[in-house]
Amino acid sequence: MNNEFKAALLGEDTRFYREIDALSMQEKEIRLNVYRNNVVVSLIDALSDIFPVTQALVGDDFFRAMAKQYLLVSPPESPIISEYGHLFSDFIRQFEAAQSLPFLADLAALEYSLLALTHDTEHATLNHEQVAEAFAQVDDPSALYLSLPPTSQLLASPFAIGSLYQAHRNDGHLRLNQVAINEGEYLLLAKSHLIAQLHVISYEEARFFKQLLQNKKLEEALPDSDDFDLGATLAKLIEWKLITNIANQPLEAE
Amino acid sequence: MSRFTPKVEDAMLASSTFSSLSGISLKPAYYQGILADLPEVGFFEIHAENYLSNGGPARHYLHKIREHYPLTVHGVGLSIGGETPLNIEHLKRVAKLVNELQPAVFSEHLAWSTHHSQFLNDLLPVPYDGPTLDRVCRHIEQVQECLQRQILLENPSTYFEFTRSDMSETDFIREIAKRTGCGLLLDVNNVEVSCFNNRTNPYDYLNDFPLNAVGQMHLAGHTIDSNTTLPLKIDSHDEPVSQDVWALYQYTCLQLNMMNQACPTLIERDGNLPPLTELLAEARYADTIRQTALRESRYEQRI
Repeated sequence: MNNEFKAALLGEDTRFYREIDALSMQEKEIRLNVYRNNVVVSLIDALSDIFPVTQALVGDDFFRAMAKQYLLVSPPESPIISEYGHLFSDFIRQFEAAQSLPFLADLAALEYSLLALTHDTEHATLNHEQVAEAFAQVDDPSALYLSLPPTSQLLASPFAIGSLYQAHRNDGHLRLNQVAINEGEYLLLAKSHLIAQLHVISYEEARFFKQLLQNKKLEEALPDSDDFDLGATLAKLIEWKLITNIANQPLEAE
Repeated sequence: MSRFTPKVEDAMLASSTFSSLSGISLKPAYYQGILADLPEVGFFEIHAENYLSNGGPARHYLHKIREHYPLTVHGVGLSIGGETPLNIEHLKRVAKLVNELQPAVFSEHLAWSTHHSQFLNDLLPVPYDGPTLDRVCRHIEQVQECLQRQILLENPSTYFEFTRSDMSETDFIREIAKRTGCGLLLDVNNVEVSCFNNRTNPYDYLNDFPLNAVGQMHLAGHTIDSNTTLPLKIDSHDEPVSQDVWALYQYTCLQLNMMNQACPTLIERDGNLPPLTELLAEARYADTIRQTALRESRYEQRI
């Protein structure tokens, strides 16, 4: 019976109507519409909470129409509603009406990754003094191993979605015309304390962080490039509070 | 009879404010204010499904708040009324949370939300017939077994009745409590909403309800549906508790007191969130009604 109930909630299917105790078809419709509305509106609202920047970019009406199309083909697969939407960016990529914004799917994927990271495990990080102390204790800092939170992610995006995301988050208003959207970007997604951070980084920094995440010694992690400034990059990691450990030995694989 | 009938938490609950003072829903917007002011309130209730992540702000603040207040955990996703088997992976995650938090109460709904692997994010109704009764009881026993504790089952808010139902909602719920040993969460707003929508009398409903199994009550606000043809009340949790619900609550407290039963009560709010002080005021109002009912029932028992 719940197959029919579900079909009535997500579409025009009327097989379920015989189950509803009511005097007329109109009364059945009105009563069932309460549930239809609960399901559809609550799921659109959920997507709106999960993808606020995507919504701001396309506007509320467009977003809600797109979200409704999505939920009808991809209802949640888990009762944990904050995890809903893992296929939304794939859906947007195929969504005809969004084709004029080729970066929209990547932006939605970025939002989803950041939210998932926020909900992921916390890893304690070192403060400025602890980092300074670790470096002061050794003669040759280049032999040290620096660890970042293992949940950190590096992304190479063909569009400037990191700048776009930050433009929205900084003042609540998208300044699309101020972002050179067709320029590629390297992004670091990492979590310190409770909330995921997004940083737009250089190609050299991306290479360096990738080596650190693979447990390489500092001197092995350095990119072979004149454009890389180790001091400035370490200062950023300290400021962002993303160094979880400094040691003479590589961390053992967990 | 289930082996979960004796409430193992009774000794602990007697000394906690869960039984004596009303509680309110815990929402992220209130985390900071609660920790800054530590207001006097009996307990906080969370939705299990909002706290099943590995980390993040919600879990962080919950653990801080738990140092000061009793908690109750309200499941909204187990789909106990579902036709398909329970989602075991989800049940295990809920059990882990319950074990970690040791709440005063774990409650769930007489409703379904998952069919096969699809979750519809609403509390959908079930027919009141023999096959559904058997299935719901099996699911409750499975949940109680996994959680290793008695759960409370909440009466639903409904917008239609099933043609195939052959027993009343109160008889159906009474039979569930009898067979599984589960307790009941009496949502007084749901009584008002369902009875209004199904054109029955809420006081008759309360008189038929197995009050002896009630372990907690919910109070919430409702709204009126926008259609103009058929007036319906919507269980929206986004308004203050209405006058008709306060009156039903007062009536229920009186009945419970005459049975020497406590009335732990939650002010439930999920949307259109007011300043925390407004919910605290509603909780205090509920306390006043409980205390007045207690005096009145003692007076009645004397004469």
